[in-house]
Amino acid sequence: MSQELIDAITDMREEDAVAITKKLLDGGASPVAVLDACREAMGIIGMRFETGESFMPELILAGEILAQISAVVKPRMQQGGEDKKLGKIVLGTVQGDIHDIAKDIVGFMLDINGFEVTDLGVDVAPEKFVETVKSTGAKIVGLSGFLTLAFDPMKHTVEALKAAGLTDVKVMIGGGQIDENIRQYTGADAYGKDAMAAVAIAKSWA
Amino acid sequence: MIGLAMKGRPYNTYERENMKIIGEKINGTRKRVAQAIAERDAEFIKDLAQKQAAAGATWLDVNAGTHPDKEPDDLVWLIENIQSVVETPISIDSANPKALQIAIKVVKQTPMINSISGEPERLTNVLPIVAEHGCPVIALAMDDKKIPETAEKRFEVIQKIVAEAHVHGVPDSNLYFDPLAMTLSTNTNSAMIAFETMRRVRQEYPEAHLTIGLSNISFGLPGRSFVNRYFLSLAMQAGLDSAILDPLDREIQAAIMATELVLGRDKHCLNYIRASRKGLFDKPE
Repeated sequence: MSQELIDAITDMREEDAVAITKKLLDGGASPVAVLDACREAMGIIGMRFETGESFMPELILAGEILAQISAVVKPRMQQGGEDKKLGKIVLGTVQGDIHDIAKDIVGFMLDINGFEVTDLGVDVAPEKFVETVKSTGAKIVGLSGFLTLAFDPMKHTVEALKAAGLTDVKVMIGGGQIDENIRQYTGADAYGKDAMAAVAIAKSWA
Repeated sequence: MIGLAMKGRPYNTYERENMKIIGEKINGTRKRVAQAIAERDAEFIKDLAQKQAAAGATWLDVNAGTHPDKEPDDLVWLIENIQSVVETPISIDSANPKALQIAIKVVKQTPMINSISGEPERLTNVLPIVAEHGCPVIALAMDDKKIPETAEKRFEVIQKIVAEAHVHGVPDSNLYFDPLAMTLSTNTNSAMIAFETMRRVRQEYPEAHLTIGLSNISFGLPGRSFVNRYFLSLAMQAGLDSAILDPLDREIQAAIMATELVLGRDKHCLNYIRASRKGLFDKPE
């Protein structure tokens, strides 16, 4: 694994990271090795974010760097992908709520931890979740909501999934006000306090 | 928090020329307040109300932050306890029209309503209440739950709200537009967008007011109090004349006093000097 690439990413040196990626690939490094270095770097950044050493703008920039590296790496990967995913997750902020920051962080952390995340954005209707779970075959749904008004839409989304016969799909919820009482109220399978918790829950279900 | 009261001096109201403060502390999305609501700890709430009133809050924002089923009861409980110790008008902070209807019946002074937006349903539901009671109302520069990305688009929403307010007979002077301060973490232009929106409002609707939820601007950043303070100063130059903030935050209070002075709004510097005598600029011990 290239320490040079890991350092470039964790130091937020955007251009260096892309240049090093090209150099590594041109020098015969395998795409998988490059992606492993990325995952290692993102894990470090995620950890620093959790401990308060890194900040949100850095997380966002890291995401952009990762996207640029992926764009360089992907064309060189063979069809069928060595990039095996742990599972598919449908994620979104529920109907009536437009808060996206926490959801974006959760989506980002799930992604770098090996899940294939379909992010439906904010103010997502229950039917949209149902439709997307069906079309992707995802077995995990993540519902985000910051406002207390998000509790009922969460409940409705859980009910809509059940009503559609998607009983093997697990639902996790998260957001500012969420606790065990709210989990019970909404009928969700689990709740998480932060992005790392979301990753732990998803891994336990994968 | 080292307040003036702790130094043996009363926590006094600072006279300000035109900056009004909406005290943000009684908000059920804060853990300690949520606990007080759940345990019906009236003393805790009364204390927050008295401290904010003494620090010069023009309104006390009240957000139960609880489940919609419980919200009306919790709001009424909060408001009644607050009104038992201070006369400061309440800002009823709820997205739930039912809770709003119930809360407005128990307030003693004309309350502020926090908030409406360009969303048609909320305009139709809330503007009649605002008109009937002559309430000031905070109007967010967003439409149907989407926040426009440009100042131009946010101003279009504001124009729509003004037109609708006029239909219901709400005067410009009761409209407090919040141009929305999105966090700089995700868009480093977000403060500039807010300033530009403010300038447009000042220009087109000189009677209308501007307000801002202050703390969001620095979300996700270190050293948040610095970002909040300098953002507030620059926003005041762009026309901001009220803000939702923590009135017990001495640094913010000092920033407001100094900014009003710098902007030429403090005749003979008297408010500033008086605030100094009251110890506002003293170094915390």
